Amino acid sequence: MFTIIEWEENVQNNHLENSKWLFSILGGNLIEINGVSKCYQNGKKQALKEISFHIKAQEFVALLGQNGAGKTTLINILGGNVKKDSGEIKIAGLNLEHQELLTKRKLGIVPQEISIDFNFTIFEILKFQCGYFGKKFDKDYAEYLLEKLSLSDKKHVRGRFLSGGMKRRLLIAKALIHNPEIIILDEPTAGVDIELRHSLYEFLNELRQMGKTIILTTHYLEEAEKLCDRIIMIKDGEVIADESKHILMQKYANKQVITVMFEEGFNPFESILFEYEISIEGQELSIHFHKSKLATVLKKLTKLPVILETLSITQANLEDVFLHLTQREET
Amino acid sequence: MQFIYNPLGMWTLMKREVHRFLKVYLQTVISTLISNLLYLAIFGGTLSSRHITIGHVGYLKFLVPGLCVMGVILSSFQNPSFSIVAHKFQNTIMDFNSYPLSHFEKLVGFIFGGTCRGILIGGVTYLATIPFAGAWMVHPIWFFISLVFVGITFSAIGVISGLCVKTFEGTNFFLSIILTPITYLAGVFFQVSSLPGVLSKIALFNPLFPLVSSVRYMYLGVSEGNIVINISYALGVMFFFCIVAYIFIQKGIGLKY
Repeated sequence: MFTIIEWEENVQNNHLENSKWLFSILGGNLIEINGVSKCYQNGKKQALKEISFHIKAQEFVALLGQNGAGKTTLINILGGNVKKDSGEIKIAGLNLEHQELLTKRKLGIVPQEISIDFNFTIFEILKFQCGYFGKKFDKDYAEYLLEKLSLSDKKHVRGRFLSGGMKRRLLIAKALIHNPEIIILDEPTAGVDIELRHSLYEFLNELRQMGKTIILTTHYLEEAEKLCDRIIMIKDGEVIADESKHILMQKYANKQVITVMFEEGFNPFESILFEYEISIEGQELSIHFHKSKLATVLKKLTKLPVILETLSITQANLEDVFLHLTQREET
Repeated sequence: MQFIYNPLGMWTLMKREVHRFLKVYLQTVISTLISNLLYLAIFGGTLSSRHITIGHVGYLKFLVPGLCVMGVILSSFQNPSFSIVAHKFQNTIMDFNSYPLSHFEKLVGFIFGGTCRGILIGGVTYLATIPFAGAWMVHPIWFFISLVFVGITFSAIGVISGLCVKTFEGTNFFLSIILTPITYLAGVFFQVSSLPGVLSKIALFNPLFPLVSSVRYMYLGVSEGNIVINISYALGVMFFFCIVAYIFIQKGIGLKY
């Protein structure tokens, strides 16, 4: 026999499951962010400016942006750590503000900062975490997660004795232990070595195949390029790009990038190549252009009164797209 | 407003809070117990040999409920306040915002841990005094219940303190500079009415005096002041601080930014 709370929860959970199923069938939105704004320091610093986007069930979305763009603020609002000033957020049709407790069960968040209980062992931490979400501890699932995250041999080690990379992997296990529908990862691979990072990519792909909806923020753009279906770029609290990865890359696939190393002390590029998008870092010049213009660009480069040390032509990747979009906004 | 939403989550927090202080039992239980026994040995031992009696009760017997209640007050306060500040230190305080726990469930979790630690200290202090002062008391069940009420009150104060301060120094300041002196002056070691002149009147306004006095009444059957007023005051204070702690959690003070 159900208690009233259990009954209500059952109805709401069914609603959530049904909605999720319906959303995936009908292509609806599992997460709706509508006009969300947030100011800090009594309105002096606007972290989010009426930001809006929707995420469908089972999508794998990368949320990209420079430091301070507003990604973590948005994740903190979803996690309940930050109160938004205005706007509305819905998870599977449920209002995050008014049906907060129900929506929280569906979210698993990996925070940017390490947050580990130092006094308890990994297994104890996972056991408590599971309980906080109202779920009975599934030892086998915990073992599976720890194995996937290469932490099996550390399960009886206290949080304080783990290395930085281990703590970060434990955060992922913490976020997944209650088997949430939506997983939000805020820079999960920062400080994780390359080998483990690649095993983590495989694991995230596995989660996607299990039907999870994943939001990832990262500064490793190849990570987003490899894993995600859709890219949302944020700059100064505003969405500057929101496209499927393929469409975004297609837009720039017509573009090519020439990278040139030139001699120090002479830089006439900005005046000569003014009709192209260029970026200069130290002695390295990158020129973005439509591929039909390759011959023209090369001709211009050869006429330049500088000694070019090296020259390479590449197809635009996500990093180029990111730099292009963020720098275009700046200019 | 939903008070109970996730009973398993609340039970987990309750267990976690108890588990935390038991993990560091040397620091949380044994050291407090040793301090209380030293008080008993120094004050009780030396003064009882001088045949000082208070009312019709021997000094050693008078001292026991005072030590028990002092143990409950300080331990109940310390558990949630240090636990919350430790959560801040570890960044895990933010996790509480993402758990599907109601404000009431979070409050109960922290208060339960504090009350358990307080009762453990109070109980063990009482047991340790049996060889010196005997096991007899007037209202054993009410003595226990009054210790629980004191534990709840100071756990709620501990929650408020933990949410308000950012560092362990802040909690230590409140504990050493405010709470401990007020507790000592609330009649733990002496009869408030025995203070000289106007001090005895001022001491009656010590906010902890009615709590100490109520617990002593349950133990000895006699106490200073009007027992009905003291118990009513103790209950009022308990509800007041529980409500304030609830409001703090609801408003996200020290939890959200």
